[in-house]
Amino acid sequence: MVPLVSMKGITKVYADGTVALRGVTFELAEGEVHALLGENGAGKTTLMRILYGELRPTAGEIFVRGQSVAFRSPQEAMRRGIAMVHQNFSLVPSFTVADNLYLAVTSVKPMRRGEVEGRARELGARLGIEVPLEARVEQLSAGMKQRAEILKSLLLDAKIIILDEPTSLLTPLEARALLGLIKELKAQQVSFVYVTHKLREVKEVADRVTVLRKGANVGTFQVSEVSEAEMAKLMVGAEVERVRRSRSGAPGEVLLEVEDLAARDDMGVERLKGVTLSVRRGEVVGIAGVQGSGQKELAEILAGLRRPERGKVRLGGVDVTGRSPREMRRAGVLYSPESREEGLALEMSLVENSVLARQGEHASGVTMNWKSAEERARQIVERFRVVFTDLWERARNLSGGNQQRLMVGRELESEGLLLIAHEPTQGLDVVSAEKVRGEILRFRERGAVLLISSDLDEVLELSDRIVVLFEGRVVGELKGGESDLERLAKLMGGAL
Amino acid sequence: MSGEALRALSETALALAAAVFVTSLLLLLLGYDPVSSLAVMFTYGLGNVEYVAAVAAPLVLSALAFLIPLRAGLFNIGGEGQAYLGALSFLYFSQQFGALGLLAGGLMGALLGGTLGALRAFLGVNEVIASIMTNWTLYYVTLFLVSRHLTHPEFPHRSIDVGFFLGSWTSFLLALALALLALVLLYNTLLGYEIRVLGSSRRAAAYAGIDVRRVTVLSMSIGGLFGGTAGALKVMYVGHLDTTMSALFGVGFLGIGVALIGKSHPIGAVLSAAFLASMIIGGHWVELRLGTPPELTDVIVGVMVLVLSAPYALKLLQRGGRLG
Repeated sequence: MVPLVSMKGITKVYADGTVALRGVTFELAEGEVHALLGENGAGKTTLMRILYGELRPTAGEIFVRGQSVAFRSPQEAMRRGIAMVHQNFSLVPSFTVADNLYLAVTSVKPMRRGEVEGRARELGARLGIEVPLEARVEQLSAGMKQRAEILKSLLLDAKIIILDEPTSLLTPLEARALLGLIKELKAQQVSFVYVTHKLREVKEVADRVTVLRKGANVGTFQVSEVSEAEMAKLMVGAEVERVRRSRSGAPGEVLLEVEDLAARDDMGVERLKGVTLSVRRGEVVGIAGVQGSGQKELAEILAGLRRPERGKVRLGGVDVTGRSPREMRRAGVLYSPESREEGLALEMSLVENSVLARQGEHASGVTMNWKSAEERARQIVERFRVVFTDLWERARNLSGGNQQRLMVGRELESEGLLLIAHEPTQGLDVVSAEKVRGEILRFRERGAVLLISSDLDEVLELSDRIVVLFEGRVVGELKGGESDLERLAKLMGGAL
Repeated sequence: MSGEALRALSETALALAAAVFVTSLLLLLLGYDPVSSLAVMFTYGLGNVEYVAAVAAPLVLSALAFLIPLRAGLFNIGGEGQAYLGALSFLYFSQQFGALGLLAGGLMGALLGGTLGALRAFLGVNEVIASIMTNWTLYYVTLFLVSRHLTHPEFPHRSIDVGFFLGSWTSFLLALALALLALVLLYNTLLGYEIRVLGSSRRAAAYAGIDVRRVTVLSMSIGGLFGGTAGALKVMYVGHLDTTMSALFGVGFLGIGVALIGKSHPIGAVLSAAFLASMIIGGHWVELRLGTPPELTDVIVGVMVLVLSAPYALKLLQRGGRLG
C-alpha cells in the first residue's frame, strides 16, 4: 500500500550553516497516529515545517499519496490536506474564533462567512469539539485555542494534522481531553503526526513512533513493541540517569513564611486571595496549580518584583514585605523566572547575562570587571553544559534549552538561601532536565526551594511537600512521595 | 575577519550602492548629470580633510546624544533642542569664561536631557513628544535671543561673536575623545551595563534590580551633555549665530542619522560622521561647479542618510528597539 506521506532523505542546512536534518526518512500511513519523538533541537519541528511547506528542504523528496510534491507555502500544503498546529498556535488574539476560522479557510479557498460558521458548528457538534465561536481568542484557555486550531484544520478538509508539542501549554485535564479527541478523529480517517518529547504521551496515543536524534532518524517502531526505557535511550543516545531522590531528613527551622498574601496582576485582576504557607530549611516545597492560579504573582512578590496588596513575607524571621528586587536578593532569594525574556537580557552576551542581577558584585567601583564575569560565565556553561560558540555572542543566538540552562545555572551557581524555581526545566531535554532537577535537590543542603512547575511528575518527584493553588487560594497540601497524580490533578481543578 | 563584520561591511556597501542609485535617479529627474554631480560630491568632499574634521566634530557629538539614550531604549529626538541650548550657553558664557563656555554648553544640554528623562521616568511623559515640543520652543527662544539680547552691535541680523575658539583638528580630537569616553561608558562601566540591560529588555532590567528611573534620567542627561556640546562646537566653528539659524539648524536631527548609520556604536558614529561631513562638503561643491540649488544638496544628503541607515533602522524596528 502506498503510504499517505513519504519523506525521503530529507536534509536541511540553515543559512548559518547549522545542519538540522541529515537525510531523514519518514512515513505516515493512512489513519495512524505517528509520534515523532526527540529531544529539543533533534529536528522534529524542522522536519514537520518542511512537510507543511513553511521551510524548503536542502535535499530530499516528499510524496503525498505517491505523488511527488514540493510545497512553496503552507497554503499549498493545506490544499493537499495537510495542516499543522504550532506549539504556540497561530490565531489572531484580538479576533473571535469565527473570524479566525474565516481568515484561515478563505486563504485556501473562497467561502462565504455564513457557510464557514455553519460548517464549523456542524463539525463541532458532530465531533464534540466545543469552541465558543463568538469568543475572542485572547480570552480562551490554551485548551480551547488548541481545539479552535484543530477545528480550523478540519474545516480545511485536512486529512493529515501535525500537532507540535500539543500538550506543552495544557493542563492535565485538557491534555487528557485532547488525546480523546485525537482517537475520535482517527476513527474518522484523519492521520496525525504527534511531535513530542514526552514518552508517556507516545505510549498513550501513538500507533507508531519515529525517534529523531541530532537530525537523524534512529528508528521507527510499533509503539506496542518498544518500551519507554528503550525509547528514552534511543532519544538521548545513552541511559538516562534518573534522579534518585532521598527524602530530606527532618527539615530545619522555618525559613520563609508567607502570611495572608493578596495581590493583583498587571491587568488589575485579583490573582492571590490570601495565601499562607511556609518553607523550612532543607525542604523543597512544590507549588502546583493550573496556569493563572496565582503562582506567578507569588513568585514575583518573593522576588521583590510585585507589591502585595496585603499580607506579610518573612525570611528567616525578618519582615521583608515590599522590598525591592535588589534587597530581596541580598536577603538570600534566588529567582529563576518562568520567562527567559525576563531572566535574561537576550540581546546581550553570555558573559553579560552570567552576572545579570548581581552586576554590582562584578564591578570594582564604577567599572565592570569583565575578567571575573567571564570566569563566572565559564563556570556556569561548564557545569550546566550550555552549548555556545563564543562567550561574547548574544544570548538570543542560543537555542531555548541553552538559554534555560544559562538562566537556571546562573541562579544555582549563586550564593543564596531560598531558590524560587519557576518552570526550571521548561524546554530542556531529558538529560538536562534531570541534571537541573539533581541540582535543585542538592540546593536543599544550602537552604530551601520553592518549586513552581506545570510538570506534575517533576513536582511529585522533587517536592517534600506540595501546596496546591486554585484561583488564588491554597486548596490543599500533600506530601511529596506518597501523592498520586490523579489526586493532585483533581485538587488543581478545584475539586476538594 | 569574522562573519558578522563581513556581513555588516557588505551590507553597508550595498546600501551605499543603493543610495548612489536613488540619488542618480533623482538628479536625472531634475535634469542634472548624475555622473559628474556624484563625481564632484565624492572627490571634492575629501579635498580638504581639515574642513571635514570641522564639520564632522559636532555631528559625532549629536550622534552620541541620540545613541546613548537609544542604548537604554529611549528615543532622544531632543538632540536638536539640546544643541540650541548648548550653542546659546556657549555663546553667552564664553564671553567671560572662555573655554569653560564649552562645559556650560554641555551642562545645559545635560540639564535639558535630564529633565526630559525625569518627565519620562516619573510622570510617564513620552520622551519623543516632549523632545519635539522643546525643540521648537528652543528654536524660537534662540531666534529671540539672537535678535534681542545677544545681538551684534553693528549687524542686527546676527549674534555677537563667540568668546573662545578651537581649531578644526582640536575640535575633532575633542569629539573623538568624547566618543571614546562614550565607548568606555557603555562597555566598561556598571552604568553602561545597566543602560544596555534596560535597552535590551525593561523586564530583564527590573528583574536585575536596576533602578529604571535612575538609568532613564542618567542616560538622557548624558545624551543631553553630548547634544549641548555638539551645539557649542558648531557655533564655535561658525563664530556666531544668525537669524536664519542656518549654522545650527539640523545638527541634532542629522545626528540621529549618523548614529543609525554607525549602528549605534560610538566608533561607528565617528566614521559615519566623517563620511557624512564629506558628503555635505561635496554637496556644496556640486552647487558651485554645476549650479545646483543648495536645497538639492540637502535632499541628496537626506537620501543618503535614509538609505544608509535603513537596513539598521529596520532591524531595530523589527526587534522592537531592543539593543544589547
